Amino acid sequence: MDIDLEELAAIIELLDKTDFTQFRFEKGDLRIAVSRGEALFPQAIGSIAPEGAVRGHGTAGAAVASTVAAPASIAPSPSAAAAGPAVASVDELAADEFLVRSPMLGTFYSAPKPGEPAFVQPGEDVQSDAVLCIIEVMKLMNSVSAGEAGTIRRVLVRDGDLVEYDQPLFVLGRTP
Amino acid sequence: MTCRVFVANRGEIAVRIIEACDRLGYETVLGVSRADRSSLAARRAGRTVVLGGPQSRESYLSVDTVLHAAIATGCTALHPGYGFLSERPDLARGCAEEGIVFVGPSPEALDALGDKLSARALAKRLGVPVSPGGTAENWEEVSRLADDIGFPVLVKAAYGGGGRGMKLVHTAADLADAWSVASSEAAAAFGDGTVFLERYVTDAKHIEVQILGDRHGNQIHLGERECSVQYRYQKVVEESPSSSIDGATREVMTTSALKIAAELDYVGLGTVEFLYNVETGDVAFLEVNPRLQVEHPVTEQVTGIDLVRQQLLAALGEPIEITQNDVTVDGHAIEVRITAQDPDRGLAPTPGTVAVWRPPVGGGIRLDSHIFEGYDFPPFYDALMGKLVTWGPDRAAAVTRMKGALDDFVIGGVITSQPLLRRIIAAPAFAANTVTTHWLGDAILDGVPS
Repeated sequence: MDIDLEELAAIIELLDKTDFTQFRFEKGDLRIAVSRGEALFPQAIGSIAPEGAVRGHGTAGAAVASTVAAPASIAPSPSAAAAGPAVASVDELAADEFLVRSPMLGTFYSAPKPGEPAFVQPGEDVQSDAVLCIIEVMKLMNSVSAGEAGTIRRVLVRDGDLVEYDQPLFVLGRTP
Repeated sequence: MTCRVFVANRGEIAVRIIEACDRLGYETVLGVSRADRSSLAARRAGRTVVLGGPQSRESYLSVDTVLHAAIATGCTALHPGYGFLSERPDLARGCAEEGIVFVGPSPEALDALGDKLSARALAKRLGVPVSPGGTAENWEEVSRLADDIGFPVLVKAAYGGGGRGMKLVHTAADLADAWSVASSEAAAAFGDGTVFLERYVTDAKHIEVQILGDRHGNQIHLGERECSVQYRYQKVVEESPSSSIDGATREVMTTSALKIAAELDYVGLGTVEFLYNVETGDVAFLEVNPRLQVEHPVTEQVTGIDLVRQQLLAALGEPIEITQNDVTVDGHAIEVRITAQDPDRGLAPTPGTVAVWRPPVGGGIRLDSHIFEGYDFPPFYDALMGKLVTWGPDRAAAVTRMKGALDDFVIGGVITSQPLLRRIIAAPAFAANTVTTHWLGDAILDGVPS
C-alpha cells in the first residue's frame, strides 16, 4: 500500500485540530506515526533531513515519521516523506525563541563524556558563552556555545546523532 | 552487503558518478556545501548531507569532514571525482584506516605521482621519454643546467598543478629571478619550495593516454585524447583519438603509459600526459593524473566503455570487464567545456541564474551537465556548466556535428563561453588540426582565431 504526500498532509491537518500527543496507524505494510512535541518513536528513521520535507504541508504542531515494512537503511532524500520529529518543530518557534545551529558536520554529544550528565537540560538558563554540546569530527571535539543568553526549551537531536552543517540543535527562549 | 558510495564532489561529475552507481545497484550519499543543497546531484543522490559552508575549504576540501560524513552514513566506498580531494594521499589513507574503499589509486601511488619531480624520475627510470631537464641545489648548478637544456626553459614547482607554479624563462638573465620567485611561491602555495627546470617546447600538442587497472593484474590502455586547445593550462576542447600522431608515436605513448601503470601496480583510472613536439615529432612525458578526468567522455564515446563503471569495479576489487583486445577505437569524439565565463572579459566568471537551458538533441550528441532551467549557478566553485560531446565516423563529421550542436544550444540568463567555443570549432586552424597549446591564448589575445 502506498500513500502520497497529499494524503499524508490531509491526515496531519485533521490531527492538528485534535488534542493528541501520539498517533499510530497500521495497515498492511503501511505504518504511520505522528507525534506532537518531543516524543520520539523508536522506529523513526534514524537520520533527519535538516530541512524537513513535511514543512509547508500544514504540519503545524505535529511531526511525522513514516516507515514501511522494511525500512530503508538509508534515509531517503528530503523530497521523500521522511522527517524527524524534532525538525518540524523548528517551524513553530515562538516569538521569543531562537535556534542554535551546528557550526559543522559531525557527531553530536550532549555530555562531556559518556555517562556524565549533559551540559544542559531543558528548563536550564544559560549564558551566551555556555557550552551546550560537543560536535566531534574525526576525534576532534568542538564545543558549541549558546551565542546568546536564554533558557533551553528543546533539544532537537539525540546523543550520538550525525548532525549536518547548519542543522538546528537547540531551541532556546530569550531571557525577558 | 550493498555497496554504498560516498560522493565527495559536486557539479556534473557528481551527477555522473551517481548515475554510474545507480546502474551498478550501489547506494549513494552525497556530501554538499550549503550552497549546493538543491543541486541536481543532491536530488539524484540516495541521501545528501551538508558538509559545511559554501566556501570549498569549509566543505569539499575538508578531509576530516568528508571522512566523518562517509563513516557516519555507513558508506563502504568513497569516490572523490576530479579536483577537490581527488589526489590527496591523506584522504586515501584515512579511508583505508576506516575500512572505506577509496576509488582511486593507492596512497603510495598518489605520493609517487603527486610530486612532479619524482614522477619524472620514475618515468626516466622506466625508459619513458622526458624533456631535457632536472633540478639543482644552488645557483651555479641551476645556471649550468639551463645552459645544457637550452632556452626557453620552464621553471616548475614539484608540487604544483593545473599550470600553477610554472614560469617560462627566455634568457639566462631572467633565470635567477624566476628560480627564486618560483621557489618561494611554491613554498607558499604548495608547502614545498622544490622546483625544477624543463625544456620548453614552443609548438607542442597535449596528448594523453587513458589507463585502467584492477587488482587482478589487468592493466590496459584506452587510447589517447588530444587536448591542445587550452588557455592558461586549462583545457577547453578535447578529442579522441588524436589526429596529430602516427602509429609509431601512438605506440611510444601507450607503451610508456603501460610501463608506468605496471610499475605502480596501478588500480583504477589514470591519465598519462605527454607533450608532442610538432616540429621534431618527439614525445615527452609530462605527468600522471591519478583520477577520473574531466574529458573522460570522449574516450567513452569512441570505445563504448563506461569508464566510471570500470573504475568503481576495479576499486572494489572486481576484475575489470574488458581486456586490451576488447578496446577498439571507433570514429571520433569531440568535447567542448561550456563554462560560466565571459570570453569578452578575459574569461571572468559569470555566476547567476540560468534562465534558459535548452540543450541540442540528436544522434551522436551527449551532454554531461548539472544545469537545469532556473538553476542558480553559484560563484564559489569551478565555472564548468557542462561538457558537450559529439561523435562522428571521422573527425570532420564530429566537428560538423559540434558546430550544429553549439548553434542549437540555447542558454540564457548567464554569459557563457559558448561564443568562444563556436569560434574555436569554426576556426580553419582547428579544422586543419594545426593548433598547439598556445593557439587559443594567441587567438583570444588577438581576438581573431586564425
